[in-house]
This record gives sequence, C-alpha cells and structure tokens, in this order.
Amino acid sequence: MNLSQLNRVLLQTLLIPVVALMFVAAILFLQIQSAERTVVQMQKTGNNIATATLASALIVNEESGLRGYQITSNEIFLQPYDYSQAPLDSALQDLREGLSQQGSDPRDVDNFIVAHNIWRNSFAAPLIAATHAGQNTHDSGLNLRGKAQMDALRERLNSIIEGQKTQRTLVVETWQRQVRETLEILVALALIIGLAIGFFARSRLHRVSDAFQSTLESLRFNAHRTFESEQRLRTTLTSIGDGVVVCDVDGRIELLNSAAQQLTGWSQADAFRQPLEDVFRIVDETTREPLETPFAVVKRLQRVVGLSNHAVLLGRDGSELYVDDSGAPIHDRSGKLVGVVMVFRDITEQRRSQAALLATEKLAVAGRLAATLAHEIHNPLDAVGNLLYLMQSGSSPEESSQFLKLASQELDRVTQISRAMLGMYRESKTPVAIDVKEMLESVLLLLNRQMSQSQLEIRTDLAPDASVTGYPVELRQVFVNLLTNAADASSKGGMIEVRTKLRRTGPKTGSRQAGVAITISDNGAGIPDAAMPQLFQPFFTTKGEHGTGLGLWVSHGIVEKHGGTIEIESSTNEQNHGTQITVFLPRIEG
Amino acid sequence: MPQSRRLVLCVDDEAVGLQVRRMILERSGYSVLTAHDGPTGLKVFAENPIEAVVLDYAMPGMDGGQVAAQMREHKPQVPILLLSAYMSLPADLSGLVDISMTKGEGAPVLLQKLDSLFSN
Repeated sequence: MNLSQLNRVLLQTLLIPVVALMFVAAILFLQIQSAERTVVQMQKTGNNIATATLASALIVNEESGLRGYQITSNEIFLQPYDYSQAPLDSALQDLREGLSQQGSDPRDVDNFIVAHNIWRNSFAAPLIAATHAGQNTHDSGLNLRGKAQMDALRERLNSIIEGQKTQRTLVVETWQRQVRETLEILVALALIIGLAIGFFARSRLHRVSDAFQSTLESLRFNAHRTFESEQRLRTTLTSIGDGVVVCDVDGRIELLNSAAQQLTGWSQADAFRQPLEDVFRIVDETTREPLETPFAVVKRLQRVVGLSNHAVLLGRDGSELYVDDSGAPIHDRSGKLVGVVMVFRDITEQRRSQAALLATEKLAVAGRLAATLAHEIHNPLDAVGNLLYLMQSGSSPEESSQFLKLASQELDRVTQISRAMLGMYRESKTPVAIDVKEMLESVLLLLNRQMSQSQLEIRTDLAPDASVTGYPVELRQVFVNLLTNAADASSKGGMIEVRTKLRRTGPKTGSRQAGVAITISDNGAGIPDAAMPQLFQPFFTTKGEHGTGLGLWVSHGIVEKHGGTIEIESSTNEQNHGTQITVFLPRIEG
Repeated sequence: MPQSRRLVLCVDDEAVGLQVRRMILERSGYSVLTAHDGPTGLKVFAENPIEAVVLDYAMPGMDGGQVAAQMREHKPQVPILLLSAYMSLPADLSGLVDISMTKGEGAPVLLQKLDSLFSN
C-alpha cells in the first residue's frame, strides 16, 4: 500500500461515518417533521374541543339568561343572553374553520348554526318579546319545545366535541406510533449503520494494518539483510589482506581495516578522526620526498586512481614498507564527493622476490657470457704468454719490437672485453647520458664469439649521434637478452640486423617525446602466434631448460622503467620467417 | 727435440694466436702449416702429409670437434692436440682427440704435450 492509497482509506473511514450520520439525521428530520404535523393536528383538535366547549357554555348562558328574564322580567337577567350572542357567533365561526382546516366535516357546525338560529328566532326572540310585553310566557308547550330545541343543540355540540375527542385520541395514537417508529428507526439505523461503519472501518483498518504489517515485515527483512550485508562486507573488509582506509571528505580517517592497522601501526581507535597524512605517510623510495596521498589525488581528479609503485609507507613505529596504493571516490546519491577509500598493499616481499628474480636473470646473463668471456680473455692471454715465451727464448730487437706490438694489441683486446663486461655490472644510481651506438657495440663485442660460432652474420646500422638517458647496466642487459634471443632463434648461417634510428615522436599515440628506436631482427624460425601473448610473462620460455624465462620479462620491466616501449613482430611464414623487436627509448632532456 | 722436422698443422681462427704459435713451433724444430678455419684445415690436412694437428676448439662455423671427427675418418693415425679457451670441453670429444689443453697454460706445456704425442 502506498501513501496515496493510505490517504484514500483514511478519507473513506472519516467520510463514511459523516455521510451515514447525515443520512440518519435526514431520516430523523423527516420523522420529526411528520410528528410536528401530528402535534399541530393535536393542537387543532384541542382548540376545536375548547371552542366547542366554549360554545356549549355560551348557549348555557343564553338559555339561563333567557330563563332568568322570563321569570323575573328584569332586563338585567337577560344580559348573559345578550352578551353570549356575539362570542357564540364568533366561536361557532372559529369552530367551523377549525373543523374544515382539520379536515372534518364543517356541515355539523352549519347544521348547529341553523338549528340555533331556529331556536333563537322561533323560541328565544318571541319569548323575550312576550316577556317584555308582560305577556304570559308560561305556556308549557312553548317551553317544552324550546327546551327540546336547546337539548338538541347541546346534543349537537356534544357530538362535535365527542367527534373531536375521538379525533384527538386518534391523532395522539398516531403521534405515539410516530414516536415509537422514530425510536425504532433510530435504533435500527444506529445498529445497521454502526455495524456497517464498524465493519467498513474494520476492513479498511485491516487493510492498513496488513499493509503496515507487510511494510514492517519488509522493513525488518531489509534491516536484517542490511545488517547481514554490512556484516559480510565488514568481515570481508577486515579479513582481506590489503590495507583499506576510509576517510571523509576532509581527509579525516573513519576506518582502518586490520591489514591497514597492521601496516601503518595505528589502531582504529587511535587513528579515528586523525588527518590521513599523519597515519598514512608515504615517501618516494628514491628521493624520500613525501608523496601526494591517494586521497589528495582522488579529490583532485574525482575518479579512481592507481598510484605510483615507488611509494614507501612509514609506519608509526618507524618501520618502512614498499606499498602499492590506489584510491576511489565515494559519492552520495547526488554525486557529491563524501569520502575516499584507499586500498594499499605491502609489496615488500614482492619487491624482494622481484629483486631476487632480477638477480637470477643477471646471473643467467653472466653465465651465458662467462664462456665468451673466458674465450675472449684466454685467447689474447695465450697469445701474450706465447709472445713472452718467444722473447724470453731469444729474439732479435726487431722481432722483440714486433712481439711487443702484438702483445700490446692483444692486451688491448682484453681491456676492451673487460670494459664491456664491467659495463654489464657497474651499477649507476642515477640515470646518465648513454651513447646508444657505443653501448650496442660493446654488447655485440661480448656476444661476438657466440655469434660467430653459430656462423651468424651481424649487420649493423647504428646512427652515430643516438643518445638516451638511463641506466646503462640495465639497458646493456636488455640488449644482451634480445641479441641472445635472436642468436638462439637463428639457425646456422642466419643473419641478425641491428639498426638504430632517431625518432621525433614515440610510438605511443600522441607521444611527442623524441628518442631512439633500436631494432633487432633475425631470420630465425619466428614465434608461433600462440606464444605471442605470453612473451613478457615471467618463467615463460621457448628454450626449455636452457632459458630462465625471465629475459623478456626483465627487459620489458627495464624498458618501461626508462619510459620506453618494446614491441615484437614475428612471422613463421616459410618465405619471410623471422622476428623483429623494436625498443623505443625516449631521450630525456635536461 | 724431434729428430727431423715434423709437419704440424695448426688450425685457429685467432690470427695473432696462430701466428705466434707457428713461430714457437718452428723455433722448436717443427714445420708448420696453418689454417684459419675448419674447412681450410681439412683441405690442408688432406693434401699434406701432416704428422700432428694442433686444433683450436672454438671456431666459427665448424668447431674443433667436427674438424677432428672428419680428420679421424680420413687419417685416424694422425694425433690431434685440441686447444681450448674454455675450462671444460664436451665429454664426447675425448675419444676424438689424443690430448687436450687449455689456452694460457703456456708454450712449454704445449711443446711438451706435442712432443709426447710423438714419443707414444
């Protein structure tokens, strides 16, 4: 049930009793009106009775006045007779009107008037005149006739009164019935309407109550689900291995999960409402400069950010951990930023194992170069030793001078090789300018023996002024790797080409950075398509036990570290099989 | 010291090393023919009455092992001394050559080992 349905139900429960009561009131009103009419009837009957009684008294007055005058002949006694005339006429007129208004037959009154007039004219008037004249008025015949007429008049009036009384009784009965009926209707209506309203209200309230119940149920269910889901999320949050920090829009900490507490050394209670920078302190691993926290970056960019992996987290106890961090904004419904959640992870172990793998690969490169090195050093040393032997065993000055020249040449070779080898291992902490041509030549020198043994032809086309900025040791390792791969992939008599080209823009779309592209191509068997996606994965090798599977992975990492790219194109097509690897290294100005 | 000048073939891709080794052997009374790679060495070996071979192992194209195997096929009686700049050589070579030594052991060792090939 929605709100408008509820409002409708409430309106119904309010309006229906009002309408029902109005209906009852209307019925009551009609009943009362009808009763009032009956009461009016009753009043009229009462009036008629009173008027008739008055008329009855007036004719008694008439008669007794007439009798007094007849006996005494004193005019004074005739007064009641005279005074009754007008009121009697008026009363009789009233009575006639009353009867006709009431619906009774007025002819009884008319007949009475006629009879009365007869009495007055044929009996009373002659009697008065005779008495006034002093005549004898004691004729019993006349008096009896007069009496009989008067009796008949009284009889007529009494009959009218009785009629009216009967009428009154009927009206009273009607009124009583009406009152009883009204009461009955009232009780019945009260009962029916009361019950109807009761049932209606009950059904409506049931609906409301059902709706309320179901709303309550669903609220309870939702609350339960929300609680469960919150518990689940909370448990997930606390049990995941990554550190999670939630802070409000001002960068004050709201929550640290267990991993975050462990990594930062701050407890939830201590960290709560503290500024993020105090708890989550990160510095650049090389410069030790404080880094912008993920919170600041997210707030600035208003989107999910993954951040540098050169961050070192300074723990509360002074410990240092390499961390990998990221941040995401929390928005409210209107899309307003209300907080930031940060996720970070201890990558110290990962860095260590990566370092171990890098060292392994470096050793593997060293191992590969060891044979070449031994050869390249032993050969000149052998020649020098033999030259010394010749000089010791007696030589002419000309011969000696020639031997010394040869020995010096051979020693130069040793120096060159040893320099090239040192170049592979002399670490540099900061990037330096590197002459790409010189670097590639020294790498090729180290690999020369290996190449010529496999009868591989090396063609070079190295631009003279190609220079990049970087870490020479690492870049040499990259090119030893790539060239060794090319040599391993080539069959005897194959050809490897090494070319460098200056480029004004990088291969990345939109990149405007100038640099050097170094391309190494071979005409070996080529890389099967299936292997292509895995080439840069660690431990992936096509050389079986002879490869570590780390070469390209490490090379890729080193090139990326230099801001460069590495691309491989390969074909296993019979006509033009071979692989071409292009490394682009940007020239970092200034 | 050899009685008569024995003809020795030296095969090595190292020009200076080969030249110096030739001088040492010639001073010690050997006649020396040289070749700068395997195929040339085999040609010289086939065309001349070579009495001993001083063969370098690590050479472009054919390595010392392959050269020795072919020499053994044609003239198995000719002793072969295998020189190597490597510390260790593949195990299957030992049957193909009579003696081996590492470059850098010095001229006296070379002469002594070569001499021993003839005295056997």
